[in-house]
Amino acid sequence: MNIELEKLRTEVRNWLAANAPKDWREAATHDVFVAGQRDWFKKLVAAGYAIPHWPAAWPGGGRSLAEQKVIYEELARADAPRLLLSFVSTYHAFATLHECGNDEQKARYLPRIMEGETWCQGFSEPGAGSDLAAVKCKAELKGDVYVINGQKLWSTMAQYADKCLLLVRTSSEGAKQAGLTYLLMDMKAPGVTVRPIHQIQGDEEFAEIFLDNVEVPVSERVGAEGAGWAVAQATLASERGLTLMELGYRMRGNMALLTRAISDTGRANDAGILRDLGRLSAQVDAVCALADQFLDNRMNGIEQVGDASIVKNAYSRALRAWSDFGVRIGGMDAQYRQGITFGDLNTGNWMADYMNSFAWTIAGGSEEVQRNIIAERMLEMPREPKGWTA
Amino acid sequence: MDGMNMDRSELKDSARKAFGEAGLAPDKSASWAKLTEMGWFMMTVPEAQGGLGMGREAMGVIHYELGRALVPGSAIAQMLVIEALAATGQNDLLERAMAGEVMTTNLCNALDADTASHILLVSDDSIALAPVASSTHRVTWDETRRLFDATAGEQTLLASGADAAALANRLRAQLLFMLAADSLGGAEAALTMTIEYLKTRRQFDRPLAMFQALKHRVADLKIAHRAAEALLWDRAVGEPSLAEMGALKAHCTTAYARIAEETIQLHGGIGLTQEYPCHLFLKRAFLNCALGGDADYWEEQAGRFAMENLA
Repeated sequence: MNIELEKLRTEVRNWLAANAPKDWREAATHDVFVAGQRDWFKKLVAAGYAIPHWPAAWPGGGRSLAEQKVIYEELARADAPRLLLSFVSTYHAFATLHECGNDEQKARYLPRIMEGETWCQGFSEPGAGSDLAAVKCKAELKGDVYVINGQKLWSTMAQYADKCLLLVRTSSEGAKQAGLTYLLMDMKAPGVTVRPIHQIQGDEEFAEIFLDNVEVPVSERVGAEGAGWAVAQATLASERGLTLMELGYRMRGNMALLTRAISDTGRANDAGILRDLGRLSAQVDAVCALADQFLDNRMNGIEQVGDASIVKNAYSRALRAWSDFGVRIGGMDAQYRQGITFGDLNTGNWMADYMNSFAWTIAGGSEEVQRNIIAERMLEMPREPKGWTA
Repeated sequence: MDGMNMDRSELKDSARKAFGEAGLAPDKSASWAKLTEMGWFMMTVPEAQGGLGMGREAMGVIHYELGRALVPGSAIAQMLVIEALAATGQNDLLERAMAGEVMTTNLCNALDADTASHILLVSDDSIALAPVASSTHRVTWDETRRLFDATAGEQTLLASGADAAALANRLRAQLLFMLAADSLGGAEAALTMTIEYLKTRRQFDRPLAMFQALKHRVADLKIAHRAAEALLWDRAVGEPSLAEMGALKAHCTTAYARIAEETIQLHGGIGLTQEYPCHLFLKRAFLNCALGGDADYWEEQAGRFAMENLA
């Protein structure tokens, strides 16, 4: 038992007991939920828990991974709201600027992010999903601005964002990765249109972004022209382990939704149901143990390529199994439509939870892409030959 | 406890060196001699009783490696007897067992009873030790283990009443944990062998490993194995309930059976031959599934435990 870590744990736990909002699930609309997210982020910044992974020069920064883990464990334990709205800014934008941004860009944006500026990611497109390097959104250099035309898709909460991490094509010569450039785009710039995507369960967590002759100054380019693919790797490599651990813990913490539903429907002695509950419970425990082990390995510097993919697929499959079991227990009741809870994956609104679980098997690198990474990069199974043409 | 802080990888390296170099299903008596020489039978016995005072985690490492190499024999039974003898202060017999004198137990179908001097008889209200009076070999599909119908001679009572119940639960939990570890060791070896085979075997002018349909199956097996292994080491520490150990055993043996099944399928025709070792993993996997209570039983127990503890 590490005394310093346990001290931090107590401190965070006490703070959360006094400060974590209890009513966040009651948000009736996505707008109300987002307003709550902004308040919650501000409170966490003031307490020094919002950006533990930033350098020590920032208030609340300079925390070790072990300390960050404690903070996220406690956030999950307290059933506090997840940090959804600020995730892209504090993790993706931060990592991008920190690794690849110039001094001027860091000085301009990092303080704003800490003050709650919201960012979104403009990577995916209708024709560039799993095959991200196929980005077509075009940027043409005219004087000291890039003129952007194209469409972006699946951008998390873009409708609330101030800035966008934008991956664009500046050249169609050579390898498709080589023609990409990375820009920081103002979401209020003329020519930017955002349209929320209506998801199957009624949420609007993602949006489409249409870009019509949008001007982005050259000074907003991260890295050199044509270096966008490498910069995007820095964005995508930013923390995922902590999130999966937190989500695993939240799923385990909500096992009681299932056991109560089983009791309420009079099936506490149904051997078939009990078996499936027992199996699921081991699966969920295994995911939590796996996420813990992943973070331990990262702390000990022995993380291997593909490890993150294993945790992600194990989590997303368990989440599917968790919610699918709920739908089964819920029976007809689960088929009656209810209002959804924003920002929560394990609500006991079973059909909504089940439909929401697809976000985890598809977004952030689909289950199939993760399997390719595991097979090809970790297990060194050979890639298929390139060059197929229709 | 030293066991908690032990360097797992160090112990793993020495166990892998001891069992990994003689090929799969190595010689039984040579393996038994190694287990004895390395002092692994005395691993979890308290130092005051002449043991090494290591924890459950260390025991898991050894059984993982025994499973990985498909080591034949009755190390599982031996360790259960040793645990019972240590817990009940039978120091003379304990010393003999730690030195390699074969002893067995009814908890895992009297493994190797024909060479055992004693049999540990475990029930909910009594734990007793007796000489083996007679034994009949019940030949199993798994040839790496030998199960017996055994009869016992005069019994010496080691524990009764509540003490017996508590010790019986501890022994059952230990059996479940050892079977889980053995299963994941075997599953790792089978999966590694399968991946190597897919890289070597060529059809349609390319290695089978290049086909995405097979890559995805293998990736899913790898995920299942890694998740099960994380759960194993998680339950290697602390005081999990018997139901939680049962859920672990069900989870790990089910993963082993699935991986062993896919090992045969992905090897194709050669997987059906005795010439190739795929069948050895399948047979041991299925025996592990059945020993110590099957997944149907333990998953139901785990479900009841969840109903009581996660409400």
